[in-house]
Amino acid sequence: MTYQVEKKNKRKQKFESLIHHPYFGFIIIVFLMFFVQLIRLLGVDVSVSILRAFGSTMIFTIVALGFSILLGYGGLASLGTAGFVGLGAYALVYFTNTFPISIFLTVLIIIIGAIILGTVVGFISLRIEGMYLAIITLGLSEILNEVFKRATNITGGTTGVNIGGVILFKDVISINHNVVFIIISIILFIIMVLTLNIMKSPTGRALLAMRNSSSAAQAMGVSIFKYRLLAFIVTTVYAMLAGVLYMTYWSFTIPSTWSLGFSLNILVAVVVGGSQSIYGIILGTFMIFGLDLSVFKQIDFFVANPGITIVMNGILIIVVVMFYPGGLIKLVNAFGIKIKKIFLNWIKKWKEFKYGVDS
Amino acid sequence: MVSILNKLQIFFFSKRVKGNQTKYDFNKHFLPIKLEFYDNKKNQKIELLKLKKEEKLLPYEIEAGIMTEYSEEVLNYHLKKIENKYYWKERALKQSLKRKNINDLDKLNQLKLKKNECLNKVTAKYKKEPNEESNKIYQLKKEEIDLYYDNKISLCETKYNIKTENVKKKIELKISKYKNRIDKLQTKLDKLGIKSNRHIIDDDIILKLDKLSMHFGGLKAVDELSFDVKKGEIFGLIGPNGAGKTTVFNCITRFYKPTNGDMYFRNNLNEIVYLNNIKVHNIIKEGIARTFQNVELIWELNVIENLLVAAHTNYRSGFFGHLLNSRLLRQEEVVMRKKAEKILKDLDLDAYAYAYPYGLPYGVLKKIELARTLMINPKLIILDEPAAGLNDAETEGLSKTIKKIQSEYDATIFLVEHDMGLVMNICDTVCAISFGKKLAIGSPKEIQNSKIVREAYLGGE
Repeated sequence: MTYQVEKKNKRKQKFESLIHHPYFGFIIIVFLMFFVQLIRLLGVDVSVSILRAFGSTMIFTIVALGFSILLGYGGLASLGTAGFVGLGAYALVYFTNTFPISIFLTVLIIIIGAIILGTVVGFISLRIEGMYLAIITLGLSEILNEVFKRATNITGGTTGVNIGGVILFKDVISINHNVVFIIISIILFIIMVLTLNIMKSPTGRALLAMRNSSSAAQAMGVSIFKYRLLAFIVTTVYAMLAGVLYMTYWSFTIPSTWSLGFSLNILVAVVVGGSQSIYGIILGTFMIFGLDLSVFKQIDFFVANPGITIVMNGILIIVVVMFYPGGLIKLVNAFGIKIKKIFLNWIKKWKEFKYGVDS
Repeated sequence: MVSILNKLQIFFFSKRVKGNQTKYDFNKHFLPIKLEFYDNKKNQKIELLKLKKEEKLLPYEIEAGIMTEYSEEVLNYHLKKIENKYYWKERALKQSLKRKNINDLDKLNQLKLKKNECLNKVTAKYKKEPNEESNKIYQLKKEEIDLYYDNKISLCETKYNIKTENVKKKIELKISKYKNRIDKLQTKLDKLGIKSNRHIIDDDIILKLDKLSMHFGGLKAVDELSFDVKKGEIFGLIGPNGAGKTTVFNCITRFYKPTNGDMYFRNNLNEIVYLNNIKVHNIIKEGIARTFQNVELIWELNVIENLLVAAHTNYRSGFFGHLLNSRLLRQEEVVMRKKAEKILKDLDLDAYAYAYPYGLPYGVLKKIELARTLMINPKLIILDEPAAGLNDAETEGLSKTIKKIQSEYDATIFLVEHDMGLVMNICDTVCAISFGKKLAIGSPKEIQNSKIVREAYLGGE
């Protein structure tokens, strides 16, 4: 008997350690995405708008995660994200249309370019702080946007550009959206793990120290130069990677997508979700980019009056920012704790009912 | 079916036993060589590991004992791993030798046996009734047998010898390689051991300011100030508001670049460092830790993680290690956490270890800042107004903890303070400055009795 009990306890411990593992939530998210695709394979009708909503939230969470390292950890406000994401998207277009290299190589080249761009912007950030940094990055992004509009032979101008497919090794292969969806979810998982590692590591702590007070950080041995560059490099790499994924999933862009509105949307997503929590950022991006497509578009009333959805979104943002300044994730956490309390109370009551009360 | 299976089992089993009996002789010769080789390899690996670990430590870290605790833990872990590995290797070798067909020695023995048998047969046949003819035939036959078997035996022996020699050569080669590596490491260690003493100050002095002056435009915040701080003492810097105390601090910790003057510091390695050449974020590596006037903690992290930030320079893992959550990082994290817990226990802060600093009482926050400076085993702790904003009981507690730090962590403490009671209580020497100029330096009593200081505080006449 004792042996069996021991075995049971061990199994319980294993289960608990699995649940409390930091990557467990990420795995569940990825499996949910797989599940959606599996349901479609089995013949259940999932509307395309829901799939699109999930896809866009996954791609833009990658951008938002990078941005959270910059804003939530480094304390550096940047409004240039749109330009970087657009640059990534158009780089893929350029490479597939003019240089027929395999996509793995192009992604490598784009990442190297992102590192160079990140160092340049990081150098700018050494001199300028706060609002002025935001303005300068905004200017950079607007310049890039103007370039996208004018360079018609690459970007197709304001009418947009289409890529037929992706070059895996030699030939252009038209892409299946469902496969790309799964690949994006896997890449999202990897990036979530990497960002969590950065956030929990000494690097993340050093960034936080820098954000709180640069002089104290320097006194503790944190080199401001190194960590500012690092934060910018991470964000640009994430943003350009997200641009590549966007292009492979949608295979169509117009320059007006990559304007100030997009940068602000990312900023709002990070702030509303909770700038230092990965789940919060996912929630925030879903609220900004996915809620409209996946929930409101399914209800007939909102389909009839499309203006109301924007108003609803705005009201939601205002409510969250007003009452939960820590972000949506705090609200969810508080709600979860309440539910847990109720659940524990039930168990207690049942036990009292069964075994009686201690006298 | 069962009977057939049984028979098969018996057949294989018997064959195996027989084989083992014959191979046993070879194993007797071969095993000790190979085992010796393994032993040598193991020892050398262990030595190499120790050397490597020492090489990774910077010399001042060895002397200060910052990372020795950590490196010992890591070393033990690796030693256990190596021993375990070689234990299983040896076992595998023994098993494989039992199983393998290494026939040379068996063949040799068999050949010798066969030769003897043949000779016996021949002798039995021809020596029973010795004749001339039989003797002749016997000798001929014997020569034949000798020729035949001697050839075979010599061939076998040469093969066997070549094999064993090869094994020995391989072992020697590998050993020489490891020895070479160890020699290289030794030379590196020797190079690291050379210390440079460019500037000379007295042995018992830890910090020397020589005609330090700092001008902001026309304002002379610090004007040709020079004093020495002795090793292991509590040094207090006092003066009225705007006397330039904090400016001196900021010059020492390199936040300001002084317009003139030199600063020397005796660091963890007992080397003398010219502070004017060091960058702000490298000052902590020399062993100078500081606190701030208004607490500068990180509000998003709990207390223990706040301490870990201060140990930032002690981490050896780089950015990619952090990105992939490498094993080195995990080990370092465990060790650093243990160290932080120990420090918190020493300062009676272990109740707050996992609390967030937001909302804790001000005295506790000040204490946490003090604890944070201890994470790097500093030589010199610079305290900027530690008692500002504390009540009397808290100030008393603070003076006790400062004394404790001075004695237990054997650090020199250099503080600026407005609370005269605290300064006169705990300081060994006090320096009074006014408008950036030195007024007096000496023991607290001397300062209390000096006229110039009184005039500076209360106004002349």
